[in-house]
Amino acid sequence: MSFLHIENLTKTYKVDHETFMGVDNISLVISRGEFLSIVGHSGSGKTTLISIIGGILKPTSGRVLLEGIDICGLDDNRLSEYRSSRIGFMFQFASLLPILTAKENVLLPGIFKPGQPTENDKIAGELLEMVGIGDKQDSYPSQLSGGQQRRVAIARALLNSPDIILADEPTGDLDEDTEAEILQLFEKINREQGVTIILITHNLELAGKAQTTLRMSKGCLVDV
Amino acid sequence: MAQISFFSVALKNLKRKTFRTGVLVFAIALLVSLLIFAISFTVSVASSLKKSSERLGADLVVVPVGARGFAEEFLLESKNTSFYMPINIIDKVKKIEGIEDLTYHTYLSSISGLCCDIMPTRIVAYNPDTDFIINPWLQESLGRPLQPGEAIAGSGTSENLGLGLLDVEATIFDNRFKIVGVLEQTGTGLDHALFMTEENLKNIIESGKSPLKKGDISIIFTKLKKGYDPDFVGRVLEGEIPEVDVVARSDMGEKFISTLADINKIFLLTTILASVLTTFLVWAIFSAIANERSKEIGIMRALGAKESHIVRLYLLEVLVLGILGSLLGVLAGTYLSAMLAGTFSLLKNISAGLTGGQQTAIAFIGLVIGTSICVAGAMMPINRIKKMEPLLVIKED
Repeated sequence: MSFLHIENLTKTYKVDHETFMGVDNISLVISRGEFLSIVGHSGSGKTTLISIIGGILKPTSGRVLLEGIDICGLDDNRLSEYRSSRIGFMFQFASLLPILTAKENVLLPGIFKPGQPTENDKIAGELLEMVGIGDKQDSYPSQLSGGQQRRVAIARALLNSPDIILADEPTGDLDEDTEAEILQLFEKINREQGVTIILITHNLELAGKAQTTLRMSKGCLVDV
Repeated sequence: MAQISFFSVALKNLKRKTFRTGVLVFAIALLVSLLIFAISFTVSVASSLKKSSERLGADLVVVPVGARGFAEEFLLESKNTSFYMPINIIDKVKKIEGIEDLTYHTYLSSISGLCCDIMPTRIVAYNPDTDFIINPWLQESLGRPLQPGEAIAGSGTSENLGLGLLDVEATIFDNRFKIVGVLEQTGTGLDHALFMTEENLKNIIESGKSPLKKGDISIIFTKLKKGYDPDFVGRVLEGEIPEVDVVARSDMGEKFISTLADINKIFLLTTILASVLTTFLVWAIFSAIANERSKEIGIMRALGAKESHIVRLYLLEVLVLGILGSLLGVLAGTYLSAMLAGTFSLLKNISAGLTGGQQTAIAFIGLVIGTSICVAGAMMPINRIKKMEPLLVIKED
């Protein structure tokens, strides 16, 4: 049984009686521990694809099977549990809650997971150390640089020990050096923890660091 | 330790905009204080009337025809009034079927001047042999009957007359009285009277300084035999003795009860309007919050938050606001009730206040209503928040 099997996935949007194709009949198999990058122009369907994989968007048709379980058929509660325990999200913007400190932001997914382990506090500290900002645990997002905020977001994505990290252009607004550092972190997490990473980027050089690179255009996968 | 919980996140969210939080808390506090004041006022008046009529211990009160209002003012409101009827009415009342026991009082208002050396007050003369109203109170406070030349002050009278010390002497209508004590508060208008036996009245009448004539009495209190309906016996009494009006215990304070009903309507209308306004304010603020934080909600959903988690988070915010506002409202309302009691003649003239139990119950009602209104106002925006599509709000700019 494959780890992640995407089967004939299609997503259409209706805007003013006109139908747009977000994802057009995509089929794909991803192995556990794979580091996959997806490149493509804006509007090519990259975000739509990982949103469906991440369970925050329902497809129009097709299936996403994670270890044989079709996540598209799960109800809202089960889907939330799936996101909480198996997925770590990173977005293309600073996605930290401004009212929480760096460490509290890392701890946030823990309150949504049933049976929140009491050792989360320790884990959050270790994750922040791992991403290189152990000294910024009590800082608020407004006191952190863009790169530091991304590092907090990576630590947050890892708190619940996910199987997959979905990173949607996580370095889009960062300088080259910081971008490279963040990518190194992804490589480290993938290598050392065996976490499957699906990285969306417009930067071909960055995408080339992944084991597999896919390109999307008009909702379809090309150059697989 | 940086452990976080739904509650700590809710608190941090509330601290995010302190002015807005303050406005909401203030609005809820205002509503609840109005509610507490209205309920306290109504309950205080209603329970004082009930308590007063119960403490008098009579099933029927017989007064001179046309003096019913005066009698109620005297017994319930502590107003100085005098009204008289001939003592032979007692014999006529005794003959009515169903009357088991009766006693009578004579009321007299003292005046400022050479004849009296105390502030104007009202004097209640009673018959110690037949009395079943004053005697029990005397037994509690003095432990013995009053002797000729002695008087005892009601709890309110002692304050009014400045009778801090016992065994002071006073001249009333040229007669010297030894005031031998102060009665416990009874919660009736009689708390503001000076009591003496009717024997002392003879000397006052003889002095010729008072308007009182020999053989005058003010009021007859009757107890009925078991099984007799007070309303029926009252009607018979009024039919047989045209010189009297009869008030049943349950009808005591009818005038106030009707006034109270009107006041209640005004309070109810004001409270409903204030509730609607507060609900609307909460709705408007939480709608704004839903728009402001939509991206954060999307992120939380992506991080694994269920719809119920989002509801819990915002409901906690609402509950903290509601409970905080309501608690402040309870304190302000209770303080207002106490402070304003003296400025409302209806409350000022009625002796008894609220019991601890009543105050607790009113505070609880205020807390529940204030919090419920807050929750009701926020429910629609919260429902909208929980239904937000994560991806749509995350991508929103």
